[in-house]
Amino acid sequence: MSSAEVAVTTSDQRPAGSRRRFKVGTFVFWFFAALVTLLVLFPVYILIKTSVSTLAQATAPRPSYMIENPTFDNWDRLAQWSVVGDPLMHSLTVATGTAILAILLAAPFSYVIARMPGNYQYPIILAVLFTRMFPEVIIATPIAERFFSWGLNDTDPGLILAHLIRTLPLAAWILIGSFQAIPIDLEESSSVDGAGKLTTLRRVVMPLALPGIAVAAMFAWLDSWNDLLYAIYLFVTEDTLPLLTYYYSNRGNVTDVATFSVLMTIPVFIITLFLQRYIQSGTLSGAVKG
Amino acid sequence: MAQGVATVQAQSPGTGDGFAGEPYSPDRSMWGKVKKYRLEIIMVLPFVVYLVFFMFYPVAESIVRSFLNQNTNEVTLDNYRTIMNRSQFNDAFVNTIGITAIGVTLQMLIGLGIAFMLSREFHGRGIFRSIVLIPMGVPTIVAGAAMLYIVGFNGYLNRFLMDVGLVDIPVYWQQSGIRGMFIIALADIWKALPLVVLILLAGLESIPGDVYEAADVDGAGGWRKFRDVTLPLLMPAITMALILRAIDAFRIFDIAMVLGGQAIPVMSSFVYTEYRAQNVNLASAAAVILLLMIVVFVIAYFFLVERRGGDEK
Repeated sequence: MSSAEVAVTTSDQRPAGSRRRFKVGTFVFWFFAALVTLLVLFPVYILIKTSVSTLAQATAPRPSYMIENPTFDNWDRLAQWSVVGDPLMHSLTVATGTAILAILLAAPFSYVIARMPGNYQYPIILAVLFTRMFPEVIIATPIAERFFSWGLNDTDPGLILAHLIRTLPLAAWILIGSFQAIPIDLEESSSVDGAGKLTTLRRVVMPLALPGIAVAAMFAWLDSWNDLLYAIYLFVTEDTLPLLTYYYSNRGNVTDVATFSVLMTIPVFIITLFLQRYIQSGTLSGAVKG
Repeated sequence: MAQGVATVQAQSPGTGDGFAGEPYSPDRSMWGKVKKYRLEIIMVLPFVVYLVFFMFYPVAESIVRSFLNQNTNEVTLDNYRTIMNRSQFNDAFVNTIGITAIGVTLQMLIGLGIAFMLSREFHGRGIFRSIVLIPMGVPTIVAGAAMLYIVGFNGYLNRFLMDVGLVDIPVYWQQSGIRGMFIIALADIWKALPLVVLILLAGLESIPGDVYEAADVDGAGGWRKFRDVTLPLLMPAITMALILRAIDAFRIFDIAMVLGGQAIPVMSSFVYTEYRAQNVNLASAAAVILLLMIVVFVIAYFFLVERRGGDEK
């Protein structure tokens, strides 16, 4: 940006100055675009590269940039599922359970809040947002003790209940925005036509809110899928995928870490691709406006 | 955009009192309200009860416990004294603040730059946008693991620095202090940049074009336009991104566990370590200090920004 301005001042004695400004600005622009692209893609590339390397290649003193003699041993080992099978099932079950429960609990709440008068609504939205200020570790310690005494440690329901703590405010935040976007006129005309509150909710509100609910569910799913903190507190004998990745990285098993990481990234990547358009237009623009 | 319009509509004063499809009711007694909004109360209650029971109550429990002796349950400040005498805690405290300061500053600067790039029309913008958003599709712990191959002793950062000739022998990055802060901040920046870019880009795109036309008519140059038009109008988005990111950076856990482990403690990992060592009340005290760090930061930010905003008016 500023370099383009510098170019203007150096070239304003020439009538064709605007052309030169364009060139310098363009060069700087593309240089930064290329640099950002490289820096963003490099770690992903290295991850994939390591997943097809031998342990000796991956830990060599002077690692190569290129993929040389790729080996699929790591992937073969992974495909036997003996290590990764149970953690994968735990992660899938917990993420799906969290997403469903988050919607069941947060959607009714969000609808009511979205239809409140503004002066009541705003403090509630702020309060929901500010729950993020609680560090998870301040919640996780008492939660872990309680869940252990209830026998919920190392169980999927226990981890689902824990993940909901973080997921509910997130889901409510997204859902309030999408319920606000449904024109209240539709509901009013529905009630003029003699429909009760519940009928209006089912026939008018639900279909219109479905895209927003889907987005919130996917965010909840991702949030649970990615979680390490509650898993590390609550799972002692069992593993989830992030937990497994963490333990293997602690042991220096870098090639296995790479395959677990790639495996863990695939669903996230697909969902995020799908979410991209919603992230830009819906949730965040509403969020920025407060 | 359509959403914004609809939001305004939904909040218009005409529909201000009462919920969906409810005519205005003169019955304003407490019991009348409960009866009238029975359905709404049933809808709200599970969510509220859940958060009270599983979030607010545990927070209160931790705060109370941090002032109790773990064996005798006497009220005491010993937990705080004990952790403050631990070098591990002091490292964690300094590391957390360092990581947040380095990470958030760089994220805002780089994020602003990329958001400006993306707000321009250029060939291949869609592809560039998709590339910038890629880290968002990578789980946090994977971002940490990927960084392990780069900042490790035999990693690519050392290879690059030696190839360029900046260092002769490999640098040991994974240690407490400025190096540890730097690598954890680096991983955090990589992972969180897309979020910052998206928030700032949404802010930039919501600035109407005629504001710039008016600035052009007044003869404002590029820098003046940036400082006096773009920046003030972008302030809500900047605040949003900065607060969100700073809170998450203070709470950083996954990346620090993978990259640093015991060697580079941060507040969250210190709490976890103490919990694992059965020192629950010490863990609570450290967690309360972390909560205080976040609260003080947020209050200080709003205090400073609000006051500056007041001066300008």
